[in-house]
Amino acid sequence: MNLWRPRRYWLIASLLVFCILGYAFIFSEPRVDYSTQVKPLLNRKCLGCHGGVKQKGGYSLLFRDEALGKGRSGRTAIVPGDPDGSELIRRLTLTDPEERMPYHEAPLSADEVELLRRWIDQGAAWGENWSHTPVKEATPPAVGGWLWGLMPSAHARWIRNDIDRFIAEKQRAAGLEPSPEADRTTLVRRLSLDITGLPPSNALSRHFLADTRPDAYERLVDTLLASPAYGERWTALWLDLARYADTKGYERDDTRNIWRYRDWLIKAFNRDMPYDSFLVEQIAGDLIPGATDDQLIATAFHRNTMTNDEGGTDNEEFRTAAVIDRVNTTWEVLMGTTFACVQCHSHPYDPFRHQDYYRFLAYFNNARDEDTYAEYPLLHEFKGKDSLSFKGLHTWLSLQADPREADRVLTFLRTRQPAINSLTADRFVNSELSDTKWLVMRRASSSRLRQVDLGGRTRLLLRYESKRDDGMLTIRTDSLRGRVIARLRVPKTEGGFHHHETPLTPVEGVHDLYLEYHNPSLVDPDENGIRFDWFHFTRDFPGRGRPGFDLAEAAYRRLLDSREVVLTPVMVENPSDMHRPSHVFEKGSWLSPGERVTPGVPASLHPLPAGAPPDRYGLARWVASPDNPLTARTFVNRMWEQLFGRGLAETLEDLGTQGIPPTHPELLDHLAWQFMHRDGWRLKALLRRIVLSATYRQDSRADANAVLRDPANQWLARAPRVRLSAEQLRDQALALAGLLSPRMYGRSVMPFQPDGIWLSPYNGRSWVKSPGEDQYRRAIYTFWKRTGPYPSAITFDGTAREVCLSRRIRTNTPLQALTTLNDPAFLEAARHLMYRCASASPGRPDKAIEAAYRLATGHPLTDNRRQALLKLHREALASYRHTPDKACGMIGVHDGHDNPETAALVVVGNAILNLDEVLNKN
Amino acid sequence: MMHKDQRLRQEAIRRASELTTRRHFLKECRTGMGLMGLGSLLGGCDWLGSKAAPGVAGNAFDPVNPMAPRMPHFAPKARAVIYLHMAGAPSQLELFDYKPELQRLDGQQCPESFLQGKKFAFIRGVPKLLGTQAEFRQHGQSGLWVSDLLPHFQTVADEVTIVKTVTTDQFNHGPAQLLMHCGSPRLGRPSMGAWVTYGLGSENSNLPGFIVLTSGGKNPDAGKSVWGSGFLPSVYQGVHCRSEGEPVLFLQDPEGMDRDLRKASIDAINEVNRITYDELGDPETLSRISQYEMAFKMQIAVPEVMNIRDEPAHVHELYGSDPDGASLANNILLARKLVEKGVRFVQIFDWGWDTHGTSPDGAIDIGLVNKCRKVDRAMTALLLDLKQRGLLDETLVVWGGEFGRTPMQENREGKQNLFKGRDHHSDAFSIWMAGGGIRKGFSYGETDEIGYNPVSGKVSVYDVQATLLHQLGFDHERLTYDFQGRPFRLTDVHGSVIRDIIA
Repeated sequence: MNLWRPRRYWLIASLLVFCILGYAFIFSEPRVDYSTQVKPLLNRKCLGCHGGVKQKGGYSLLFRDEALGKGRSGRTAIVPGDPDGSELIRRLTLTDPEERMPYHEAPLSADEVELLRRWIDQGAAWGENWSHTPVKEATPPAVGGWLWGLMPSAHARWIRNDIDRFIAEKQRAAGLEPSPEADRTTLVRRLSLDITGLPPSNALSRHFLADTRPDAYERLVDTLLASPAYGERWTALWLDLARYADTKGYERDDTRNIWRYRDWLIKAFNRDMPYDSFLVEQIAGDLIPGATDDQLIATAFHRNTMTNDEGGTDNEEFRTAAVIDRVNTTWEVLMGTTFACVQCHSHPYDPFRHQDYYRFLAYFNNARDEDTYAEYPLLHEFKGKDSLSFKGLHTWLSLQADPREADRVLTFLRTRQPAINSLTADRFVNSELSDTKWLVMRRASSSRLRQVDLGGRTRLLLRYESKRDDGMLTIRTDSLRGRVIARLRVPKTEGGFHHHETPLTPVEGVHDLYLEYHNPSLVDPDENGIRFDWFHFTRDFPGRGRPGFDLAEAAYRRLLDSREVVLTPVMVENPSDMHRPSHVFEKGSWLSPGERVTPGVPASLHPLPAGAPPDRYGLARWVASPDNPLTARTFVNRMWEQLFGRGLAETLEDLGTQGIPPTHPELLDHLAWQFMHRDGWRLKALLRRIVLSATYRQDSRADANAVLRDPANQWLARAPRVRLSAEQLRDQALALAGLLSPRMYGRSVMPFQPDGIWLSPYNGRSWVKSPGEDQYRRAIYTFWKRTGPYPSAITFDGTAREVCLSRRIRTNTPLQALTTLNDPAFLEAARHLMYRCASASPGRPDKAIEAAYRLATGHPLTDNRRQALLKLHREALASYRHTPDKACGMIGVHDGHDNPETAALVVVGNAILNLDEVLNKN
Repeated sequence: MMHKDQRLRQEAIRRASELTTRRHFLKECRTGMGLMGLGSLLGGCDWLGSKAAPGVAGNAFDPVNPMAPRMPHFAPKARAVIYLHMAGAPSQLELFDYKPELQRLDGQQCPESFLQGKKFAFIRGVPKLLGTQAEFRQHGQSGLWVSDLLPHFQTVADEVTIVKTVTTDQFNHGPAQLLMHCGSPRLGRPSMGAWVTYGLGSENSNLPGFIVLTSGGKNPDAGKSVWGSGFLPSVYQGVHCRSEGEPVLFLQDPEGMDRDLRKASIDAINEVNRITYDELGDPETLSRISQYEMAFKMQIAVPEVMNIRDEPAHVHELYGSDPDGASLANNILLARKLVEKGVRFVQIFDWGWDTHGTSPDGAIDIGLVNKCRKVDRAMTALLLDLKQRGLLDETLVVWGGEFGRTPMQENREGKQNLFKGRDHHSDAFSIWMAGGGIRKGFSYGETDEIGYNPVSGKVSVYDVQATLLHQLGFDHERLTYDFQGRPFRLTDVHGSVIRDIIA
């Protein structure tokens, strides 16, 4: 046989090629991944000195163009493809401690240096953090095939939906097996608490336990998702994110009227508003063409920032603080990014430049609010008769007036904007800002309003208060000797601020306006004659000469002074003539404005959607765009945390390179993609998807072995047990007691609270217990005072909501025990729980205890538990029989329950409400 | 008497061995509880060594036992802090910073040079200078100047360091109090006491580690945030002990439930919880059992320590305290009791020091005199009492406000105020510190002739915070908590220890 025949040649050649290829395949260096291998190393060892904050030696590794550049030494730090020619590698490997990097710290290990060498050798490719890459449709790991033959069959049988495939794959890698499905009693309580925030009603439990249809579980989920309580439960979460409170914050912390926003949230959740619209309306509802009252109320999201009423404060400082808070909250809560640090310098670790912060801030910098006492702008929702007269006026204007003029009048009635707040006045002569809030003028005084556009303005509407007659106000342009455009009497007012309108001499262009006030009846030169709230330079009421003009104008004037109106602080954009420029603040200080900036989004993320206007509305669409890599991931991750007690990425507030990376990145992407593209951004669909998974339905029993292998339960081979939130604990107690009021919406209420919680200075407000069933409303309706929050809410990990709270960190403390043991609200719940159970089986305390336990946990009372609880009952009964007077103390009032038998039951009820099984979701 | 350093060292060794024992125990322990705790405990030890690695994992927070005692960075000089904050800001010019020149200039117009580029809360236009409204004398061996408004305190001048040149950049109460206690004028940061509790845990498991006492009828202007935990776990926030009603909210059992019955009920709860633990194996259940036991003990321990009725008459005489009322003096006496029982940080706020001159209570020559009368005896007694009990060396006492007051008479809205009063002043104010390794009978920093600006020894509130942490054994740059992707600290990016005032 001749090997050298041509055919054989070919065979040998191909064998050779195969071998060489194989060799190359096996022995070539694997590709270094920037995001998972290089970036963490750079963050840990280099970026502290060569990042966004410090650029020692004039060198930074934050962006690729900087990293490939030269430091002060003049040598190129990274030459792609040439590790030996790269200064970076040289400096890492020197021996001179003054030269070797990291400076005066431990050197990099040989492996780490080798990694960087290989990375440079392969071209020093840059990459993005996982959370900045577009969300892709992640394919779930396949079930079946030979690989799955190796998987324990438990997994294959266990899987219910795609979520489980991702979970199973990781469990298998960790050598874990999933837990079986929890029993139905556990499931119904878990689902009910998760979806509605309330324990299941008796009827619902009974129905589900008796439902033998194969889709009984799905039906239960759908029933719960359709319950009105659903919206209340998810609103509870959003209130933390929105830093919702019923007071303004800071020193005086006076009451704020913003509960309409809370109600908007409940309704939005209940009607399953798509999350993208939900965000657009909250960020920029006012800028949606033809914005409805509801869309304006949605913007109260960013009016939950604080207002400082403390005397002597600089209003611009606190206006700026509110704008900065809006930027930080938008990033942290909606996009899982810590942007606050970019306020002072470029992000130390993530690709955001200092300027990015202020370009983003520029979107928010033109809202009308200016830290005024009244918290302008306020949406005026007319009620009762006035709502009819507003509708009538609306109709008349749309028929009889120029549409733009009609819109101007209606917008003004609804928002009282645009108005110039008197606190922006300056050049005070015998005048001053009273308490730094309102312009006050004295006997012969003047002051200035800067840069007012008078183009086409024919009338001035002003709001003022005066305790003296004979006041005369003169307004001149450009100087105290300038042309008079208005001269009017400003007589005494009754009952606070008053609207007053006067014609203006028409003047074109933008002018400084000088106000002069004279009042001969003032004798004391220090006495204030007049206090101004705001000035509105406007046009004549439109439609003169049209039928019904007089009536319409009269209706307009009446509505200006309407008292049948609900006020809510909302966002309203500055008109173009009141536009504020935005600047970079050097080192983050508002007192050091630097370069001027225009609105824009960080270059390192996706571009603005096509056709997006350069304002908050355009920004809102950018945030809620399916191209935004952060928005859906952040939200889906948060929902996961709500159900499982921990996010797939634990740091909900930071999905950046410094946050904890997700345990199941593919699952997170899968859910985010499905949420946007399959579920139409609808939360109910997302929740349904998650709770139908086998992962969610698992038993929470943890055997010692499982705990050993996965103490933190990150692979979810068992259901997590999660302590109920402050809201859930209160609502559950009231529900079990049968006390919970089903009333929804409205002003915040004041249930029982111990005395002495509210002690803010310069504020006469006090806690006045609400009447009737308002005592027993769900926790989201409890009045939230920032400087004195409801005690049990704080004890169970709530915060004052001065700034947004991305995530409550659960603690377990003796003060919590004292609250559920002794807080009169919980005691009252224990009483009513026991009255309820005792009345069902009179004379049988054991039955009553059994019933109460079953109500609270869903489970029948086991013998060992019964023994413990009955023993307590015996001791309590003996004690009360011995001293019957004490029974009354335990019952709280002299009524039919005031006897040793019931008091002893209440002691047991109090214990039941404190059981770990009741405080936790199992 | 055992030397103090020795005692502190012994304490440090004892704690270290406890930590080791616990770690050893956890290694051996087969239950989930052990393993759960192990990770966080070891995590908790990381920051004791070198710089904390970035990432939340570097935080020294053990959710299973968040109050476990921990060691600071180095041997501490002070074991506890009593911080007396006179909310509203007392006038340094009537108490510690003696300015005869200002006296001479009384009633003259304030030179323009002092007003240029300055912002005041209420002063408008050109105000008049207001001479010192108190007599000053030198006291003790050290010859410290203390005004006659503090006759008792004059007798302990040799125990304290007065710092006359503290500056702040906030001139409104709320933000300035936040800056003083939380290192930032904005809300959302943890308070000093929360940082200390996070860093050290609690020595006495029956009492909170950080207790707040308030007097003067109002909470401080910045609200409860000045003892809040900010982004730290809420377990580190100050526990506000009330002077009326229950000292701690919900401490009292319901009427009609005696101690035996409460004991029986907690026994029953814990018995059922043990059954639950056996069934479900969740380590948090074990933690809950111990929290309920601790709650039961707190119910005894807190009222006991909060009750000043049993203090002997001479002690009440010393402090001027009255067990039947509620007062600053009562709170100061309580602070001593709390520190004695192992509480780490006692924060006292007394409201009502804002002397603008708009009312008699807010007048330098009326309201301030009355406020001084209320604090003078008690704060002096505190130093004497601590010293006598051998506790002063290891207890750092700090006294001050959130800023100082102007050498000018306030002219609110451009009008002369009705009474003698001074506006908020951020450029120079006085605080005093004593005990806990601080120099005795020492005055630090000098201001100009009218007490307007520091001329030497200017320090910031961050420096005060850094010094306080230093005395507790912390490097203020290393006591950090990772939040929002970066390590945060009390002093943010500022602060250096005021070495000159350390003994």
